[in-house]
Amino acid sequence: MKSNSSTVKTRPTPWDALVFAAVAALAVLTALVFYGPKARTNAPLTCVVSVGGEVMDHVPLASFAGEHTYSHNGYTLTVRVSGGQVEVLHSDCPGQDCVHSGPISRAGQSLVCLPAQVVIHLESGTDGPDVIVG
Amino acid sequence: MKFSVKKLALCAVLAALALGLSTLENLFPVSLIVPLPGVKLGLANIVTVFALYELGAPEALAILVTRCLLGGLFSGTATALLFSLLGGLCAMGVMILLKRSRRLSVYGVSVGGAAAHNAGQILAAMITLGNTMVVGYLPFLLAVALITGTLTGFVVSLLLRATAHLHLTNQSDYR
Repeated sequence: MKSNSSTVKTRPTPWDALVFAAVAALAVLTALVFYGPKARTNAPLTCVVSVGGEVMDHVPLASFAGEHTYSHNGYTLTVRVSGGQVEVLHSDCPGQDCVHSGPISRAGQSLVCLPAQVVIHLESGTDGPDVIVG
Repeated sequence: MKFSVKKLALCAVLAALALGLSTLENLFPVSLIVPLPGVKLGLANIVTVFALYELGAPEALAILVTRCLLGGLFSGTATALLFSLLGGLCAMGVMILLKRSRRLSVYGVSVGGAAAHNAGQILAAMITLGNTMVVGYLPFLLAVALITGTLTGFVVSLLLRATAHLHLTNQSDYR
């Protein structure tokens, strides 16, 4: 170890900043690819609503506009679809997680209400990956 | 590679320590504070980075694989094993490469390793879910890696300075 300790750097060097910047840049890059403005103008989305494990609705998002109610396990959810996004307007479940999740508008996003066992999921229309990285 | 008895004992102790740290970490998940599933402090990586510097790459790799296999055995899920092994091996590969650059300190190596670890876990998620959409989770994990990697680097730099006088390894074997 004695012969090594002189070469081991235990304090940050300017070159560390380079690694730091590279990781940060990769994070920003992947974020842009997946959440950037281009990602929003994508293939048409399909809204899949499953209640208690069974698919209730499997409808293109564009033709699903309006308010829909789903009841299961004694709870009722009011779901609003408008302007390309889906949100749970109201739910009488105790947790209110689904309401607090806010609107979703991208493929792969989900709204989940565990007490009512309602899962609202957005799929890209083509059913395949919408981007390939690398 | 020849393991001296001292080195073998040291590897075993470090592997046990890494296993203990990762078990401890599972008891207090950070994801309770940071609402991102899968976010961990990576305490066991402290051992990996320390071993890489103090003992060398083959020994660090042996400790890592031992920790992952035993950890997978204890948790009893094959998926957990896949996640930790893929993440750990990615991190190890990147750290060995980064360490070759004499310009980088422990911090740079550790941050690079943490980022590679999380990228490896995304890879494992892609394999288990069969879905490329999980890559969308990578930016969050990379941002977390910057923090956890720096923390790991900080702890390891303290450890290396504190143990510098102990002559943990038989360097005479190599001279």
